Amino acid sequence: MANIAAQRIKREFKEVIKSEEVAKCAIKLELVDDNYTELRGEIAGPPDTAYEGGNFLLEIKVPETYPFNPPKVRFMTRIWHPNISSVTGAICLDILKDQWAAAMTLRTVLLSLQALLSAAEPDDPQDAVVARQYKENLEMFKLTARHWTNVYAGGPNVNPECDEKIKRLIDMGIEEHQARVALSSYNWDLERATEQLFS
Amino acid sequence: MFRFIASFFTKLIQMMLQVLSSKKHIIHNLLSIYVKTSGGQTVCLDIDPKCDVSHIKKLVAPQINLQPDELKIIFAGKELADDYVIEECDLGQQSILHVVKIKSPKLNEVFRCSTPKANLSPLTESLDYSTFSSEDENTEKPLERKAHFYVYCPNCKGLKQGKLRVRCHFCKSGAFTVHSDPQDWSHVLQPKQITGTCENDPEYCQELLQNCEPTFAEFYFKCSEHVSLGECDQAVPLDLIRPNLRHIPCLACLDVPETMFTFPCQKDHIACLDCFRSYCLSKLLERQFWQHPEHGYTLACPNGCLNSFIREIHHFRLLDDDNYDRYQRFATEEFVLRSGGLLCPQPGCGMGILAEPDCTRITCQQCKYVFCRNCLQGFHIGPCDPVEPSLDAQGNCDVDLNCPVVEDPSRTTIKVITKPCPSCKTPTERDGGCMHMICTRSGCQFHWCWVCQTEWTRECMADHWFA
Ligand SMILES: [Zn+2]
Ligand SMILES: [Zn+2]
Ligand SMILES: [Zn+2]
Ligand SMILES: [Zn+2]
Ligand SMILES: [Zn+2]
Ligand SMILES: [Zn+2]
Ligand SMILES: [Zn+2]
Ligand SMILES: [Zn+2]
Repeated sequence: MANIAAQRIKREFKEVIKSEEVAKCAIKLELVDDNYTELRGEIAGPPDTAYEGGNFLLEIKVPETYPFNPPKVRFMTRIWHPNISSVTGAICLDILKDQWAAAMTLRTVLLSLQALLSAAEPDDPQDAVVARQYKENLEMFKLTARHWTNVYAGGPNVNPECDEKIKRLIDMGIEEHQARVALSSYNWDLERATEQLFS
Repeated sequence: MFRFIASFFTKLIQMMLQVLSSKKHIIHNLLSIYVKTSGGQTVCLDIDPKCDVSHIKKLVAPQINLQPDELKIIFAGKELADDYVIEECDLGQQSILHVVKIKSPKLNEVFRCSTPKANLSPLTESLDYSTFSSEDENTEKPLERKAHFYVYCPNCKGLKQGKLRVRCHFCKSGAFTVHSDPQDWSHVLQPKQITGTCENDPEYCQELLQNCEPTFAEFYFKCSEHVSLGECDQAVPLDLIRPNLRHIPCLACLDVPETMFTFPCQKDHIACLDCFRSYCLSKLLERQFWQHPEHGYTLACPNGCLNSFIREIHHFRLLDDDNYDRYQRFATEEFVLRSGGLLCPQPGCGMGILAEPDCTRITCQQCKYVFCRNCLQGFHIGPCDPVEPSLDAQGNCDVDLNCPVVEDPSRTTIKVITKPCPSCKTPTERDGGCMHMICTRSGCQFHWCWVCQTEWTRECMADHWFA
């Protein structure tokens, strides 16, 4: 059984390498082991989104029953998005669950994830906190997503105000990422974030 | 002298070789067949396959006290023309030809002259794949024009090439000629699609039907890889296994197989036989077969096409023996569940149990586990314990919060535990990520919360997704 999965991934790998998306640097795919059971994907944040300029790493695990079951995919780069867990990087995307079809490929998965970054589906959230912010305060969501893209994915948009607030919490002895999560969750309200962290 | 001896020996060897090869020739080429009369008499013949049908008539006629031109020979739904060479129809050893007496030889002569030759050859010869699949007539494949049928042979216990045969639907006699050729699989697989003339005892069959319906042909298949064991020796047609004449790639491994499994979805979704086996096996182990009300425990196209269930469950015979046994066991269990029974919750058991509705103390006959029907925990007196929210799940989240995603590889090590699906009680594993569980058992697909062990709600997301 593992044979079919490996054989198929081998072909898909070649397909991705030759694809025009790779030529345009929009997606990337690398092998992690020689058995074709684990790969590393990379997608570029789509233009005109809060993720523009960022590069997002993906962990791709190929089950023995591939392609009859979907690959297990997770964001390794931290990201602020309603359908992606800000904690684990787990993804809520139907094609990675019950809507998977054997005809889909790693290329279609990478492109679908890129599309997910352009068009979030806040009504089917993976991260409830992010989804709430997305629906109630879209500008605040964009600011936060842009900041995370800058810090974790190498995006170009530095936000001195966010950095300043995080520094204030670090000075109080809070770990940097924990500080960022608290501030992001409370719409960058320093007072409420502090309150939550010390409660 | 020496040259003489040498040439003598050469000659001798040549002669011996000749004798040997001609002997071999004879042994290999003689065909033993049976010719059955409408009176029930059977004549056994050893014939040279190069002879034609008129020769057979000459051999048979004296044995049944008739003249050769009073006879017609029927095989596989068609009358065979006099000049038809036996070699050209796919008669195997011990095949049965049917001979019947022509009612009025003169009339028949006229009829025969006006009948095109194709109609006077056996069905298996006149059918080809262009009529049996929706292919372009233009596809150039002159060598593979002959139909290939695949069957499951209960005798050889495996996938074999099969031969199509015809008999009377009512009296089951093989002395039957069809009025038209079947055009597709539905004509062959469904009863009463093609009419014909029963030559066995037309009066009997017509009387039986009181002329209210025509005499219908019944199609069946024989294995072409073992010597026929008589008229009852039948094989199951595996109509979804076909030659891949249009070179469609397998949907899983992307190779172009010679023989393919065609999913019944009309979208050219095909798999090579190895991938079909893997597909069945992986879905079987996840219990994702469907208990279909008409077709039984079955699968659909792996691309999720609508109405693409496999109707003939003998296709799952392609699994090896152990897994076919497992298939049958799971099918029974699924049937048990659908009939209101339950499955043993002990990991690795899962035995199907039908118990009285008011009995709460259940004993598994297979693993001897005694459990409570309501909570599926070990048997207890008194009310069931409420399922406490899992501490482990909460703990996991705390750990998550403090560990940077990329740096810590141990975080991805997933703790596997099982909990029963709240809807169908099938033990389900959580492999990390979401607390949002979707039951993988087909027919259930219940969305549930790993923490609450109830239906997945918006509250679950808000309350305990990130602790
Ligand atoms: Zn056989
Ligand atoms: Zn009949
Ligand atoms: Zn294949
Ligand atoms: Zn299909
Ligand atoms: Zn048991
Ligand atoms: Zn109980
Ligand atoms: Zn279930
Ligand atoms: Zn819950």
